[in-house]
Amino acid sequence: MVAEPGDARAPPRPIVVGGIALAGCAAAAASFGLSLSGDYGRAPYVHATIVGWITLSYVLCGLIAWWRRPESRFGPLMVAAGFAPALSRLAEANAAGLQTIGEGLLLLPPVLFLHVFLAYPTGRLERRLDRSLVAAGYAAVFGLDLVRALLESAGRHGGADFAKNAQRAAIAAIALGALGALVSRRRSSGRPFRRSLEPLVACFALALVGLGVGIVMLALGAPGTDLVRWIAFGLVGTAPVLLLIGHLRAGLARTAVGDFFVDLRSDPEPSELRDALARALRDPSLALVYWLPEFGTYADLNGLKVALPGPGEDRAVTLIDRNGAHVAALLHDPSVADERKLLDAVTAAADIALENGRLHAELRARLEELRGSRARIVEAGHKERQRLERNLHDGAQQRLVALSLELSLIENEVDIDSGAKARLDQARREIAASLDELREIARGIHPAVVTGHGLAVALEQLAARADVPVRLTVEVGDRLPEPVEVAGYYVVSESLTNMNKYAKASAATIEVSQTNGLLLVEVTDDGIGGADTERGTGLRGLADRVEALGGRLRVWSPDGGGTRVQAEIPCA
Amino acid sequence: MRVAIAEDSVLLREGLASLLEEAGFDVVALCENADDLLLKVRSFSPDVAIVDIRMPPTHKDEGLRAALEIKSQHPSVGVLVLSQYVEVGLALKLLAESAEGVGYLLKDRISNVKEFVAAVRRVGDGGSALDPTIVSTLLARQRPDDPISQLTPREREVLELMAGGSSNQGIADSLVITLRAVEKYVSSIFGKLGLPSTGSESRRVLAVLLYLRS
Repeated sequence: MVAEPGDARAPPRPIVVGGIALAGCAAAAASFGLSLSGDYGRAPYVHATIVGWITLSYVLCGLIAWWRRPESRFGPLMVAAGFAPALSRLAEANAAGLQTIGEGLLLLPPVLFLHVFLAYPTGRLERRLDRSLVAAGYAAVFGLDLVRALLESAGRHGGADFAKNAQRAAIAAIALGALGALVSRRRSSGRPFRRSLEPLVACFALALVGLGVGIVMLALGAPGTDLVRWIAFGLVGTAPVLLLIGHLRAGLARTAVGDFFVDLRSDPEPSELRDALARALRDPSLALVYWLPEFGTYADLNGLKVALPGPGEDRAVTLIDRNGAHVAALLHDPSVADERKLLDAVTAAADIALENGRLHAELRARLEELRGSRARIVEAGHKERQRLERNLHDGAQQRLVALSLELSLIENEVDIDSGAKARLDQARREIAASLDELREIARGIHPAVVTGHGLAVALEQLAARADVPVRLTVEVGDRLPEPVEVAGYYVVSESLTNMNKYAKASAATIEVSQTNGLLLVEVTDDGIGGADTERGTGLRGLADRVEALGGRLRVWSPDGGGTRVQAEIPCA
Repeated sequence: MRVAIAEDSVLLREGLASLLEEAGFDVVALCENADDLLLKVRSFSPDVAIVDIRMPPTHKDEGLRAALEIKSQHPSVGVLVLSQYVEVGLALKLLAESAEGVGYLLKDRISNVKEFVAAVRRVGDGGSALDPTIVSTLLARQRPDDPISQLTPREREVLELMAGGSSNQGIADSLVITLRAVEKYVSSIFGKLGLPSTGSESRRVLAVLLYLRS
């Protein structure tokens, strides 16, 4: 359900309201009189009072709801439900002609109440289960009563009685089914109801139980039927009171708007805006999402995509515009839409704060996108280097080794003089030198030993080849994700290269450990310090590589105080 | 001596086979991948398996894992690992338990047929062969108060050959000195490095390796 500001039908005209109100009073008086004058039970006054009250309260409450929210069908539905008991009270009248009509409608009121309960708060039956239950109720009222009347007129009284009992059983079952529907809706929504709704829904549920049980007892002619019926009717009659209280509280809630202004004056963080809105609208389940036109999607404050609830979901959406441009949407309990004016006031007040929040969300979404593309670029580069190294290894390097071997085999087979042998030796030395160079190039392109055998194995070689004594400690359990290991390797190799070139150090330590899903790599030397991340590409490139994985590189290098390079790379 | 060869490059696999057959070895199995090698080692029980460290399907550590598995499942089979690059870390991993019947050489070494054949034979006989690059990297490694620097040039030469897996006789032949002289150098080196002298030649490879690494 999407309720946009301004999407409102005109309220009923005052003359219509007045007429209906008068008719309601008349109907209440009539049903009071009919119940009293009929030879009904032992306490006709109690019965008459309850019926009169239900009529009056539903008609008047229905009118108020209709007036306040003309776009909802709930008000007219309530008015209709209010008139039903008056009609059915005709059954209590002794006049034979009137009774025939009333007999048929005796069970209409319970079904109408059930309809009202299930249609709250929108006035529409949103779910298929609800629609089926209400349709079955009306079918039982009118269909089975028609069957009964036909059998009666044909003189088949046994069959007519059976139809009557079947009708009662069916409606009792439907009432209990509606109770189940209320409970399941409560469950499936999986979030807190607005507080004002809790007693109302509980009242609906209890009334349904009372109606179902009362009808069964009536059919069985059980003692105490009257009492159960009064309780059930009493509960039915309490619902409008609770509804009125809810509306009154909505009126009081205007002060919540005042508080909201105070909240806004203190210039809230975008993250606090949702809470302030939830307080002002008294809906703890409220969610605030922002429209990001560039991405064509709604997103939360962290820029993560959010889908709006579709039709049929038990969530209402209020779209918020600013200067003709779409800014945000509130996802809230459908009952918030009852208080259209409160909603309008609050969203208007939040105007600038909402625009701020939207900009914040947009920034986060862009950052997220940037981080993703940075990681993809690094990954693509990594894959390309891996491919190159592999080609060198399987191609040129293998061929040169095979060539060198071939030369040796030729030397063994052919009778050659010492001059030729010397030239063969020279050729083999050239090949060996080429292989050495290729090995260094391949290692520079991609450290295959890291991907093949892991960080711990690869670091041994780096430590052994450093220009100063290096203490190496690696406390990493198993293999880590490949990009993490490669980044860790480059942190160490680049740090050691820098140290060899500039630091004039006499010793260094390499410490690698893993805690809380982070790989920690730290390289420390006791050299002259003064290393700069911004000068030269080595440390800057290293920081890029680490940050692309969502990690962090820090360098401490005070003049004369040694250098410490520390990387934290997420590896969970 | 019976040899199994696992190497995914046809050129090198065939070259190795003809080289070793020429030298009097019996090549009992030629394998393209690690799984094939494990199967054939079980069937043919060779004296030594020559394994390329990078083999299909992932070209990562298949060869190394096959080598370690042969070492633990078939201790009588010597394993000689060949690689385009030699790494101190991999040497430590390969020799972690013992250096007996283990070799680790740069692939380039096969072109020096005489030395390569000697290394294969040594590993097949339960000895060791460690690439000179590893040994020189470790010897060049900087350490505080370096006892290596107290060695005479001759002692250093002996240490390099010893760490590479050469027997005393092998060292004597390489340096053209007597067996007694080699023994004298060895005990002097162990004294200077503070290492307890160990019995077998493989065990002293491991001892020296660990010493140099620390």
